[in-house]
Amino acid sequence: MRKFFPVEELARDERFSSVNMKERFGDPRLPTSSDGSRSTFRLTPSRRDASDGARALMHGIFVGEIQALEGAGRTCFDFETENLGRTPGARTDEMAVPFALKLDMARQCWDEARHVEISVKLSDWMGTEIGQYAENTVLFEAACSSDPVLRLAGVNRALEGLAIDVFTTMKEFGDMAGDPYLEFCEDWMLADEVTHVKMGSDWLRKVTEKDPERRKNALEFQGIVDKLFSYGGTRSESQESPIGLARRFRELAGFSHDEVDSINELSLQALNERKVAVAQMRDADAFARASTPHSAPHSAQE
Amino acid sequence: MTITVIPETFSFVSFDADSIRRIAGELAIELGLEDHAISIEVDETTPLARTTVAIDPHGSGEISIRADSGAFEDTRRPRHQSETATKTSLGRVLLRARDRLTGGFGQAPADDDLPLPRTAAWETYSIGRLERLGVPVNRQRWLYNFRNRHGFSDSGDTAFDRLWRSDNLTWDELGAISDEALAGARTGGPKSSGLSSAG
Repeated sequence: MRKFFPVEELARDERFSSVNMKERFGDPRLPTSSDGSRSTFRLTPSRRDASDGARALMHGIFVGEIQALEGAGRTCFDFETENLGRTPGARTDEMAVPFALKLDMARQCWDEARHVEISVKLSDWMGTEIGQYAENTVLFEAACSSDPVLRLAGVNRALEGLAIDVFTTMKEFGDMAGDPYLEFCEDWMLADEVTHVKMGSDWLRKVTEKDPERRKNALEFQGIVDKLFSYGGTRSESQESPIGLARRFRELAGFSHDEVDSINELSLQALNERKVAVAQMRDADAFARASTPHSAPHSAQE
Repeated sequence: MTITVIPETFSFVSFDADSIRRIAGELAIELGLEDHAISIEVDETTPLARTTVAIDPHGSGEISIRADSGAFEDTRRPRHQSETATKTSLGRVLLRARDRLTGGFGQAPADDDLPLPRTAAWETYSIGRLERLGVPVNRQRWLYNFRNRHGFSDSGDTAFDRLWRSDNLTWDELGAISDEALAGARTGGPKSSGLSSAG
């Protein structure tokens, strides 16, 4: 079986369509109301587009769960098992991982598969078809590193950390809306995500115990993924972000107070950078329009 | 019939003004609104999906529609237009316009002032009629929207069914059904059936 699987070849049927990060950030639109009346974008039932917003986020969770399953599965398979079948004292592959780590990844696969099934049923309940929204495959891309420690940092700590934030937002949404299933399901999935992050934190510490440089690189990579996965500020403690930062659950999962602070700073930075980038795109568009001859709106007589 | 689309060319999204005009024209004929001028202003700077409609207060009968770009967007292909989404969004607002024009909805507040449960009830009433006109809709999506605004209860679902099946409601009748659903959610228990068992 093939190792280190490329994102372009993930198995998807004709219902799915995907977008990459470049396309996503190339969208010059900002989720602001045209009259500028909205002061918060946090996904709550009081938003006029709450139901559709929740449906879109639920679909994002669904495809995220598929990719998390694929990523954890790859980590089980892509790396050698430490000391397995080797002569005592023989040189071990640098990237080999302990068997117990693989066992944790296998458990994660089991959890993610269950989450996929739950997400399908929740999407059905909310009136969303499989593949109704474009799939962003960047989660799996972060799971393609050739160093298992970077995968732990990027996937288990950064992405599963984001999952904690997303599930908390959705759980609160279900609770406020009185949705008896959404709140319940999100709560159960959230418990698993906290475990996945904790596994990542523990293994990262253990595997890099004698290699501070490798640990430093992994944490740097986590920072990059954290910022990338703030999706231009989609997740932060600012009310301008649809998804909040679940400080309490993150701390339960092994993040220190300072680490959560720095994720929040990264997210706010991403939000501000996105605003500047969109402003620049809009200025460029306004300039282009001003430079071309004005054309009056066209009316059709039918 | 005069149908105006603003802007005529789009730069933030790949939408086609002619296609929007054609769909609006077809719907206007189906809904008996062909004697009314229609203007459609699309805010392409936001991916939100809000649509509002207003009737010219000076008696010309012109229907003015404002739509965020998300209302016409293909969610599978961001920034591209969807025929079905355009039809559904324009159909909803044109039905609301027809309700306001043909009587019985004189007391309905302007779109911007509609409370969320009333908006959901009117959406349900409109989408049910659109489905009968042959526009493809996902009933469960609108049921979920209605439940979010009226509570997740059996009495709420009954109210939803009544709105969905109705053809000639007045604003007061629509309001009464919406109020009944809200009252039922407060006094009754949660839903008796839930997630599908299909895998």
